[in-house]
Order: sequence, then C-alpha cells, then structure tokens
Amino acid sequence: MTAPLSKISDVDRVIHEPSRLLLVALLSSVESADFLFLLKESRLTKGNLSVHLTRLEEAGYLTVKKSFRGKIPHTEFHLTLKGRLAFDEYRKSMGSILAANKR
Amino acid sequence: MEKQIESAMKRGRGYWFVDGFTELFAGILFFILGGLTLLGGIVPPSSFLSQFISLAESAAIVKLLGLILAVLGLWWLKDRFTYPRTGFIREKGVPRAQLFVFLRNSILIAIVPVLGLIIPLFIVPAVRGAIFSMPVWFPPVLGIFWGGLCILLGRWTALRRFQLLGMVIMLAGILIGAWQLTLGLPNVPADALRGNILDPLPEALWPPLQESLSRMLAGVGIITMVSGIGFSVSGLVTFLRYRKENPVPYKEEG
Repeated sequence: MTAPLSKISDVDRVIHEPSRLLLVALLSSVESADFLFLLKESRLTKGNLSVHLTRLEEAGYLTVKKSFRGKIPHTEFHLTLKGRLAFDEYRKSMGSILAANKR
Repeated sequence: MEKQIESAMKRGRGYWFVDGFTELFAGILFFILGGLTLLGGIVPPSSFLSQFISLAESAAIVKLLGLILAVLGLWWLKDRFTYPRTGFIREKGVPRAQLFVFLRNSILIAIVPVLGLIIPLFIVPAVRGAIFSMPVWFPPVLGIFWGGLCILLGRWTALRRFQLLGMVIMLAGILIGAWQLTLGLPNVPADALRGNILDPLPEALWPPLQESLSRMLAGVGIITMVSGIGFSVSGLVTFLRYRKENPVPYKEEG
C-alpha cells in the first residue's frame, strides 16, 4: 500500500463520519455548547444528534455537564483535550492526503 | 472540506452576534457619542445646550454606568430571547500567552505611530505643521484603523456584514479627509513653527490650533455617527431576520 493510501485507512473513523465531524468542528471553537445550539447548527434530528454525541463521549472526545438554568434542565458539551488533539490530527492527515492527491 | 470545517468553526465564533443585539447596542452608543462630539463643535460655547453637552461628554461616571447597564441589558436579553431559541455557548477563554501577545501588539500598534509623530516634531520644525492639518489626516487614519478592525472581526467570524461595515467606515474616513482638504487648512505662519518645541506655544498659533482641533473633532464625530448608524441598521436587520427564522423559543416535542 502506498503512503497516502495507508494514511486513508488510518484516519480516525469516529471523527471521519460527516455529522460527528461537524459537531467536533462546532465544539472546537467554543468552551462548551448546549444541546439546542448543536441541534440548530447541525440540523440533525434529536435522536441522531444524541447517538452521535454518545459515540463521541464513548470515544472520550467530549464530556457532558448537566445542570439547571432556572428550573429547566440544561446539558452542555465540552470537547476534551483528547478530542481536540484527535480533531487536529484528523485535519492534518486529511490535509496531507488531499495535498498528495493534487500533486 | 477544510473550508467547510473552517466555516463550522466560525459559526461558534460569530454566535455572539447572531441576534443583532450587540450591534444595536453599540450602534446607539456610537451614535450618541458621535452626536455629542459633533454638536459640541457646532453649538455656541456659551449656550445652555453647550453646557449640557460638555457635562454629558465629561461625566465619565455616566458613560461607565451606561456601558455597564448596556452590557447587563445585553446579557438579560440574550438569556431571555436568544438562548431559548438557538441555544447557549460558553466562549473559549483566552490563554495567557495569547493574551500577552495581543496586549504587546496592541501597545506597539498604539505607541509606534505616536512616537513616529512625536520624534520628528523635535527634529524637523515643518513636521509641527501636522498638528494644524489634523482635520485632513486624522479622520482617514481613524477610519482605516477602526474599519480595519471591523474587517478583521468579519473575517474571524465569517460575518460579511462586518466586512461591509468596515469598508463603509474606511470610506467615510477618507471622504471626510478629502472634504476637509477642499475646505483648505488653517493658515499657519511658517516662522512660528521654528521655535523650541518645549517653549510656550506662540500666540499666533493658538487660533489655527483651535480651528484644527474643532474641525478634527467634527470629523471624528461624523465617523463615530456613521459607525453608529451602520451598526444600528445592521443590528436591526440581523435582529428582524433572526426573529423571523426563530419566532418562538424551542420546545420539546411530545
């Protein structure tokens, strides 16, 4: 297998899925965001969003903080250091794959 | 793909401006400040209105209180209106190293032009004339600096309206400078500029200095008012669009 091809198979599959990639990109520029923000920005259904967030949480890429804003339950999602590093690594490897493809 | 990732990242950065409230508040504030500066130069100095304007301009506590109330009002509005509709985000804290670099660069940007103006003042007497041509060069410099900041904010948040506003402010500054140039500069006797810079200002220079300052302040007032109108219109349009897209707070289904 040539170097770029082996890189493709090494890509982080948790982040590579488009919806999860969008969620990680959204969370990477903020300290934390709540469920409603991610729902509106990603335009996913609530069920789908929950599944993807759970998958990212299981991978250790994000943490969940539950609290109350007044009497309303409020859930915030925070990208962990592991998640940020994985996102950076993913961008780097995809960048080099695409650059190699252009040459 | 990288572009799409970047654009998703910028959605978070620009979220503070999603509802238009910040621009509306800032626009009103700029409009009032610019209006006070402009009126201060137009109204006869002995009039009752002039006294009121100088009081409003000089009362720092009123400005500070107004600013604090505006920020509190902004938070209250976002808590009641924006967050229940499109969600809440917590902004990223700025790392100390990044804050240090930002502060260092800001100080350098502020100091270098000032030193660049002051040092030649001591060496070349003709440069002292720059103080008397302030109505021509100060508004464009301010417009380019202030407009440039808006354009940078627009690029950072991917909000085109800030880039457009920045260009309008820059253009306003340049046009004011050009307009002031067509009016001509205050008449300054060349030999009065030659004395020791630390000596008291010769009497012959007082009238042109006052004219220069009042015309420069009028230019600053106009730029501030233009910014205020631009920000207010942009904020209002953004708010109306946001309200149309998100008419009611989000509710759980079922």
